[in-house]
Amino acid sequence: MGLPNAFEDLSSELEVDAFRRLFPLRYFERHLAESIRTDGRPLGKARETSIFLGAVASANGSALVKIGSTTMLTAIKMEVMTPSLESPDEGCLAIDFFMPPICSPIVRPGRPAEASPVVSKQLSDTISSSKMIDLKELSLVSGKAAWMAYLDIYCLDADGALFDAALLSAVAALSHLQIPAVAMNDDGKIVLVSDEDGRKQAQEPVNKEKRKLTLRSIPFSLTCILHKNYILADPTAEEESIVETHVTIVLDTSGQLISLYKPGGPVLAYTSAIQDCVALTRQRVKELKSFLDKENPDMEV
Amino acid sequence: MAGKGGATPATYSPSPTTDKQKPALFKEDWVRPDGRGFHQCRPAFFRTGAVNAASGSAYAEFGNTKVIVSVFGPRESKKAMMYSDIGRLNCNVSFTTFATPVRGQGSDHNEYSAMLHKALEGGIILESFPKTTVDVFALVLESSGSDLPVVISCASLALADAGIMMYDLVASVSVSSFSKNLVIDPVLEEENCQDGSLMITCMPSRYEITQLTVTGEWSSPKINEGMQLCLDACAKLAKIMRSCLKEAASDSKE
Amino acid sequence: MWHASAPRTSGMVGLSLGEKHFIQGGIAHDLRCDGRKRLTYRRISVETGVIPHANGSAQVRIGGTDVIASIKAELGKPSLLQPDKGKVSIYIDCSSTAEPAFEGRGGNELAAELSIALQRCLLGGKSGAGAGIDLSSLIVVEGKICWDLYIDGLVVSSDGNLLDALGAAIKAALCNTGIPRVQVAAGTSNDEQPEVDVSDEEFLQFDTSGVPVIVTLTKVGRHYIVDATSEEESQMSSAVSISVNRQGHICGMTKRGGVGLDPSIILDMISVAQHVSAQLINKLDSEIASAEAEEET
Repeated sequence: MGLPNAFEDLSSELEVDAFRRLFPLRYFERHLAESIRTDGRPLGKARETSIFLGAVASANGSALVKIGSTTMLTAIKMEVMTPSLESPDEGCLAIDFFMPPICSPIVRPGRPAEASPVVSKQLSDTISSSKMIDLKELSLVSGKAAWMAYLDIYCLDADGALFDAALLSAVAALSHLQIPAVAMNDDGKIVLVSDEDGRKQAQEPVNKEKRKLTLRSIPFSLTCILHKNYILADPTAEEESIVETHVTIVLDTSGQLISLYKPGGPVLAYTSAIQDCVALTRQRVKELKSFLDKENPDMEV
Repeated sequence: MAGKGGATPATYSPSPTTDKQKPALFKEDWVRPDGRGFHQCRPAFFRTGAVNAASGSAYAEFGNTKVIVSVFGPRESKKAMMYSDIGRLNCNVSFTTFATPVRGQGSDHNEYSAMLHKALEGGIILESFPKTTVDVFALVLESSGSDLPVVISCASLALADAGIMMYDLVASVSVSSFSKNLVIDPVLEEENCQDGSLMITCMPSRYEITQLTVTGEWSSPKINEGMQLCLDACAKLAKIMRSCLKEAASDSKE
Repeated sequence: MWHASAPRTSGMVGLSLGEKHFIQGGIAHDLRCDGRKRLTYRRISVETGVIPHANGSAQVRIGGTDVIASIKAELGKPSLLQPDKGKVSIYIDCSSTAEPAFEGRGGNELAAELSIALQRCLLGGKSGAGAGIDLSSLIVVEGKICWDLYIDGLVVSSDGNLLDALGAAIKAALCNTGIPRVQVAAGTSNDEQPEVDVSDEEFLQFDTSGVPVIVTLTKVGRHYIVDATSEEESQMSSAVSISVNRQGHICGMTKRGGVGLDPSIILDMISVAQHVSAQLINKLDSEIASAEAEEET
């Protein structure tokens, strides 16, 4: 047990910044002992969050979301497809999550980040199982044409809690999505109808006016990290690199559990710890919903 | 939900019903799509420190052309690299899938990375970081014309933000030619039907050109005119970039 | 400050300090290592019709640099944006035996750079104006059928000045190109794809009068030289490739990295290139004519 004391002695002489880099775990634990985190937050508090809708002018729906430094840009582009034989009345939503090399020093061009396919899969699973959107609403002409919504999420700055930010930006972009007015022409192709010439067109419009999707329930999430008996909400990249046990909980607006991820990690959580995480998530969902409602005053859920 | 298992069906984006007429570009009364004068650049907006995870970064917005550039390093070169007594510069330009009007077309521009490298290497004091590599990564968020010049200018600002030693800021501007007319800082619609283009990357305080590309047929006087237009615009652009850096420096002092 | 011009492009040329000074000094005194003046080319030889199955082909040797260009014409559909023009694609490959540095994937980056530079120099602006290759002569039925030209270049052996050599080889190969005459079946309605009959015997000569030549000026010290060898290229501080047509108009220009240049130097380089290109075009024309004559006999 002589070793920790040796650290103690060193730490009094070291500059704070050097100590932080050399002994990240001790630095981290010292803060926890005082019930405060390295960036000055209380343990259960998420970082400052902002949502900006319509960031990409050329897309049908888009959102820019920041949680602390973590930044996500999402855009939805609507294209037309022929629906599959099994579900002729349904459109499709394709979700992709990208981590371009600009977002983090560990991503290099040509070598995609390990995290991106994982987050991508979690996002599509979460959004499809939440029953947030009815794919029938994306149908245009049964069996002939339906919308294919490409939802692409780009991480512009990676500083922890990537899934939370990605999910928030995805649902924000979906709430901003406007389905364009279209008609089917003689060749069976779908064409856009602009406001001015919409009336004099002989073609029969299949989607008469711009409309928004009905969002039946909205999933929100919170990631916590577990270290010894501490539960820390919304970790930064630095905290994530020190602590390996993550719990991500996704709830919808009525408080129902949509999904729960705890991918291994050295800490074996008691059910009470999970319950604490759920309680933190419930608070966070209320907060996030009010942020989104502020941006989208006319949205009905 | 995503893809419903298996291959994604072939999709297309619906086009407007009214056939787009080719814009009449040679008429006397022709105005540019955004109403600018022929020799007027779009308002440029720069901000440094866009990405916290990077050593230095910058965001640039020219009209609807929006890019982010992150700089990492100087950091250890790849293991396979031979010893080098000067630093290495590694550049990469990529596009978001929604950058272009038709989804996913940005991957057509794989030459941009090499061109960004050529434009920057003359401006950086590579001798100041031997044995190491500086990575310059650009992401075009939205593409709306003059993408490469915007990326280059933004990258030089990001390098400055990262504290990489340079001889001068590198600014870049392009012109499009339409028969007799020269149009500066073209937007996408203009680029798609231009007769030729000229792009200059220069270091205005040293009055040196680091990169120059010309396409299409040009007579000598016209090249002269185009170069002068670009050089003047680069000097103005560099002033805006400089003031952005000064602002960032004074903000951090407070 | 000699390290400012340290070799970046071809690190494979192992030169001693003395050799470097010798090359730089020679260029400064207008007497290069092989006895040439600054603006003199090495011997250029042209051979056409080297690949029998291509529609046109040519091999060009400039000193130790050896390149082959071949042209394949296929019927295709014009793009929607330019229904009255054919399509041309240029693709360059660097043989891995051409230079030690090209081994493995080493040649790929250079090949991509050369392809882009040639496209810029030969294909003109987006509207198709100013193209060295007349794209509207490739149309068969407007909006329906056109010729697609696939231009492939191969670097067999490299001793500097690759871009100029490839440009010359493509020009010679285009002169050598015969495009089959196409009969369009009459009476098809507007909507259908018309039927065509491609002739095996009748060929149309391709008009190459507008095809420019490429002149690369390599700056070593305070002077610039044409047709640099690999050794000389290793000493360059920067290089500018300028493509010039018969009228002396610039058809494309690329600065190929290196340090910055004063605008006045670039303008001077342009006028030098225009002067040199006139001689190069005449020289190439006579070489191509004699090569074609030889092929026929």
